[in-house]
Amino acid sequence: MPALAAALRREGVPRVREAIMTALIRVGDAASIEAILPYLRSQDAALRTAAVEALCALRESLAPFMPQLLSDGDSDVRLLATELTRNMDAAQATTLLCDLIEREPHPNVCGAAIDVLAEVGTPEALPSLERCAARFSASPFLPFAISAAIARISGVKG
Amino acid sequence: MADTARRAIHVLVVDDSSLVRLYYRAALDKAGFHVEQAINGIEAMEKVLSEPFDLVILDVNMPRMDGLTFIRSLRAGRGEVATVPALMISTEAGSQDVADARAAGANMYLIKPVAEDELVRHVGLLTGAIP
Repeated sequence: MPALAAALRREGVPRVREAIMTALIRVGDAASIEAILPYLRSQDAALRTAAVEALCALRESLAPFMPQLLSDGDSDVRLLATELTRNMDAAQATTLLCDLIEREPHPNVCGAAIDVLAEVGTPEALPSLERCAARFSASPFLPFAISAAIARISGVKG
Repeated sequence: MADTARRAIHVLVVDDSSLVRLYYRAALDKAGFHVEQAINGIEAMEKVLSEPFDLVILDVNMPRMDGLTFIRSLRAGRGEVATVPALMISTEAGSQDVADARAAGANMYLIKPVAEDELVRHVGLLTGAIP
């Protein structure tokens, strides 16, 4: 595992990085996740995308890391972390994302969380969504997104 | 510009967020533009290679193919498709992010969240609907 992590750190060729990430996914333990997590902060969009896709594939081992990722000091990391909940158990994803939108100050992070909630959220998310809409009533996008998310959650599962 | 003339302006919205696509589509449809959608760079590339578009609006962070890779691939192509105007709209707000988008070939870069009127105005400017 340390060898794979070190190889990933020094590798500059995207296809080789992809292959190393695939090897890390196959191992699939906490150390694999720790080797991939730093790339959520990469300035390289393709590398960030590869890291998100690799972490999504490790969703079972990822759960213990989620509260910390969703509380990260960097709003870009919190935003990308919302995407990692998309393939989780719906109740677990709803709890994590509702906790986030209750306290999140950044509208784009809330927007990303609401996008996932619209797809996987359970009706338990509705009160948090309504409070978030009230907090961001002046935002150009969030009231629209929350209204659409509430309609989807209510329509499908309500 | 008359509504019928705007309907002739085809805009491709590329974003992995279904709510963002819905928001842009609602705003642009109301303003009279013809809107199609793609969920990532791969799907967007298939669409621009199969039909003409007057503008591509796209996000940076998307699965399978990110927005910067899409624009670089588009600009490296041949013919009219290589010159389709691209409006990048992203949460990435750093000066380096804007510089990277410009270097990749984006014509304009906006930071999310974007108000409806701001979106319509920039689409109008890039497509010539607003002189």
